[in-house]
Amino acid sequence: MAETVLELAGLSKSFGALRATDGVSLTLRRGEIHALIGPNGAGKSTLIRQITGEIAPDSGTIRFMGRDLTGLDMPARARAGLARSFQVSSVASEFTALQNVVLAVLGASGRVFGFLAPAMADLRLVGPARAHLGRVGLSGREAVRAADLSHGERRRLELAMALALRPKAFLLDEPMAGMGPEGAREMTALLAGLKREAPILLVEHDMDAVFALADRISVLVYGRIIATGTVAEIRADPAVREAYLGEEA
Amino acid sequence: MTREGAVNAVILALLAAVALAGAAGDRPFLVTLAAKVAILGLAGVGLNIALGFGGLVSFGHAAFFGLGGYVAGILASHAQNYEPVAEWPITIAGTQEMLIIWPAALAACALAAAVIGALSLRTSGIFFIMITLAFAQMLYYFAISWPAYGGEDGLPIYLRNAFPGLDTMDGLQFFALCLAALVLGVGLSWRLRDSRFGLALEAARQNPERVAAVGIRVFRVRLAAFVISAAITGLAGALYADLNRFVSPAMLSWQTSGELIVLVILGGVGRLWGPVAGAGLFVFLEHVLGGVSEYWQALLGLMLLGVVLFARGGLLGLLAGARRHG
Ligand SMILES: Nc1ncnc2c1ncn2[C@@H]1O[C@H](COP(=O)(O)OP(=O)(O)OP(=O)(O)O)[C@@H](O)[C@H]1O
Ligand SMILES: [Mg+2]
Repeated sequence: MAETVLELAGLSKSFGALRATDGVSLTLRRGEIHALIGPNGAGKSTLIRQITGEIAPDSGTIRFMGRDLTGLDMPARARAGLARSFQVSSVASEFTALQNVVLAVLGASGRVFGFLAPAMADLRLVGPARAHLGRVGLSGREAVRAADLSHGERRRLELAMALALRPKAFLLDEPMAGMGPEGAREMTALLAGLKREAPILLVEHDMDAVFALADRISVLVYGRIIATGTVAEIRADPAVREAYLGEEA
Repeated sequence: MTREGAVNAVILALLAAVALAGAAGDRPFLVTLAAKVAILGLAGVGLNIALGFGGLVSFGHAAFFGLGGYVAGILASHAQNYEPVAEWPITIAGTQEMLIIWPAALAACALAAAVIGALSLRTSGIFFIMITLAFAQMLYYFAISWPAYGGEDGLPIYLRNAFPGLDTMDGLQFFALCLAALVLGVGLSWRLRDSRFGLALEAARQNPERVAAVGIRVFRVRLAAFVISAAITGLAGALYADLNRFVSPAMLSWQTSGELIVLVILGGVGRLWGPVAGAGLFVFLEHVLGGVSEYWQALLGLMLLGVVLFARGGLLGLLAGARRHG
């Protein structure tokens, strides 16, 4: 079995009386795309936010590359190699596409406290940033303000920023959300190539994409994982069909 | 030259022209006003690093403006009275040398900002505004109630502090010094804005969550910005004390904090020369309209409202167009 990169064990998180995460255990292995699906409000984003360190779980542990992440804040986890894209696009909207990716390269470099030399003239930052923009197909859009990019382009910009972290795992929260069928197909192709670099925990509602991409799928309902398995296993699972896939499967 | 570059050159030339005309026409008042614009502009350039680049609405920068002023005033008063500032653990003599006073003012303000920033930057929004205000008010009341340095009455500086090779009591020479400090301050803020640090700082203004998600500690970046910002404003305070040859708690008051914010907003938030344009407009209004009617502040308020509602880029935005990134 491939090496485990990320391991959640017995993770729980409540918001008041609501158990948004209820004893979740799952693993992400080298080379795989592990899709996390579930109805709206199931707790998918909440789970991602606990992995990134944005919120703290009430109990349970998260191990990444053999190391317990408890006590590490968001920047430390990013630097350790956890790259994340947000469910709602999150970029510096006044900055150009290139500046956004340079920011990510800067974060990965760990050398933020340069006070005098212009960042946008620094080839150690701009060079890699251009390459990452090229990979997501945004080369021609470098100088466009992030606010002026189309929705789909912003999603790809986020992916370029994730790439810039040279991550050891990707946490992608609905990367296809709001994209047309064409955009979703392009994104699917991009992600298929990406998993060789680092495994992907993929939260996604687009079932075509999930079935095309996922090596394994976990189904989250009311904060609990009700099933984990291959695409075929999940499609055949009666509990899943009832709880989530419904007529769709 | 870009349009913004041309506007900046005009601002600088206008300021120098007013001072030169004042000196040539034997109207020292004009020279003093020009120096005041340069100094308030420098204070605004400092504030702009926190407020404009970082989006940190400090309502307490009077603390640093005043602290810089008091450093100049206290060191000078000890030198004038031939009393050391401290005898234990080491003897610190007073001084009238700007080249010693300025680093002392920079250091004192940086230290104060490190403490105030470390506490206030854990909050944001209205809480940050209120905490910075509270710290400045603490310093203000401390200055009022501390009789050793004049308390409420303030502290006079009989002769302006000295700068090698210059006669600082000569208005034009003192103005030139202030202008040089201003140009250096703007130059520094320009380099800072375009640096790695500046990129992270401006990104944190737009989207702090995103900045953290790429592995950058927003708090540290903001703290560094706050410290640099305060030090520059403090240097302006030291010059202001010399301009007036007088320091008083008024420099520490919340009105001063407010005026600094006003001139940054009037000039154009986040624009390199915005605070200078804002300071020029502010001083112009204060002295031209202030002479006509004591209600000049009402007009200032209206202009501020106009800027906030219709011209977010301030004076520089109107003259030079929107700021472009990248
Ligand atoms: N900060 C919070 N405070 C209170 N409740 C919250 C908070 N964050 C999330 N919740 C609740 O937790 C539940 C899980 O939310 P979450 O955003 O994780 O769902 P999701 O599976 O990502 O849904 P979607 O598919 O709509 O994105 C929801 O009921 C949500 O209202
Ligand atoms: Mg979600």
